[in-house]
Amino acid sequence: MYNERLDKRAFDELRKIEAEVGVVPNANGSARFKIGNTEAIAAVYGPQEVKPKHFEKSDRGVIMCKYDMIPFSVSDRIKPGFDRRDMEISEVITNALSRAIFLEEFPKSMITINVYITQADAGTRCASLTAASMACADAGLPMRDLIASVAAGKIGDSIVLDLTKEEEDLHEEGATDVPIGFLPSKNEVVLLQLDGKVSREDLKKIIAIGKVGADKIYQIEKEALKRRFSNESKS
Amino acid sequence: MSLESYEYIKDIAKKAARADGRKPIERRRITVVDNVINHSDGSAYIQFGDTKVIAGVKVLPGTPFPDRPDEGGLIVSFEASELASQYETDRILYSVEIGRVTDRGIRESNVLDLKKLSIESGVKALFVYIDIFTINNDGNLFDAANIAALNAMINARYSVEGKEEKQKLPLNYEKLSVSSTFSKIGGTIFFDPDVQEENAADARLTIGVSDKINSIQKGGTGFFTPEEIDMCAGEAFRLKEEIRDLLIKKVNG
Repeated sequence: MYNERLDKRAFDELRKIEAEVGVVPNANGSARFKIGNTEAIAAVYGPQEVKPKHFEKSDRGVIMCKYDMIPFSVSDRIKPGFDRRDMEISEVITNALSRAIFLEEFPKSMITINVYITQADAGTRCASLTAASMACADAGLPMRDLIASVAAGKIGDSIVLDLTKEEEDLHEEGATDVPIGFLPSKNEVVLLQLDGKVSREDLKKIIAIGKVGADKIYQIEKEALKRRFSNESKS
Repeated sequence: MSLESYEYIKDIAKKAARADGRKPIERRRITVVDNVINHSDGSAYIQFGDTKVIAGVKVLPGTPFPDRPDEGGLIVSFEASELASQYETDRILYSVEIGRVTDRGIRESNVLDLKKLSIESGVKALFVYIDIFTINNDGNLFDAANIAALNAMINARYSVEGKEEKQKLPLNYEKLSVSSTFSKIGGTIFFDPDVQEENAADARLTIGVSDKINSIQKGGTGFFTPEEIDMCAGEAFRLKEEIRDLLIKKVNG
């Protein structure tokens, strides 16, 4: 049974969120997205020339996305560099962003997106995707919609939103974690992964609670972008 | 793939038709050949359409992971090399993803009882290495890898020091997690895509189910609606039955 969450949040409550854009002045667009103790920083460069050349597509642009957990982001040090997990996450993030951005407007060019996880406390791929989509919007890329991504899941018999690492590790409760990425205004799921044990009915509820979280994140993303272009943030 | 066939597949997909005449939710006929590799502890060769993969299992002693001292290990790797496809970039990314998704399905379903593989806490345990190699890619390598891995695990007979008889892996047959992969082409969802359909597809959804859903991986640059995901989950529960029956028959036979 999991009647009360370890951090006392309501089951459909997100952790505290900080979002801002323009944190990497050198980049064409950038963003920082922090949810609880998970923090992602994303920078977007381009559109620019495609390198290596064989990735080039004549009718559309390509996205080169790299997700990287920096060595001090978790309790044990992780080896620097690009491992199999990073590769897979980069791939699913790229797929999601390819749906969000109008790539057909950039034939023969490349958009490079780099994401650092500076602190990890579960939900890093979701935070990365949300940060990357804000950074793309900050770079002024034409998009179908922003992506709002959050993990939802099941612990014991409870459907929960935005799990922490501590909650993910509740193996006795059979904790299941489902990262979901939405284009919120379109009702489109562009990222979905699951490992664990849930029924079909549970999955429906998990996606529904994920949508509730995503809608809130969506508002926060929009506010952060508006702040950037309003007068108050000139300082 | 030629441009004509790409357009053709997208075109007929609008009418829910497929180039090989299958229904949208219809599997290609699967051939399984057991224990094709002499030097492995268990192996299986799987073919459907022109997709061909071989999975081999080796069970070797090793040191348990520090955070799981009382458990053995499961290590799944998948490779689609130059041999099976000419496109380098697809190969590398694809391989990692398939290996990891196959691993997750097996791990999360608890079909393999890792605790029973422990020999001495913190010092020695058995590691199950499942290596899956692609001989030819005609699409749906996700399901091929999963079915090959399950067959190879069931076939495995390994020797342990001090024991005369060969051992079977500690498998819970109620928890066989079977993967089903769907491709969405122009709004229509097809099960068990061949390679041409995969190339024409906007999005892919792989769902692994035992008695519960154990793994999901969405791929491709398109999207699914929540309703479509629910439909695929329902189909995955139905589709896993025929694979499960094949596997159970093998266990009992």
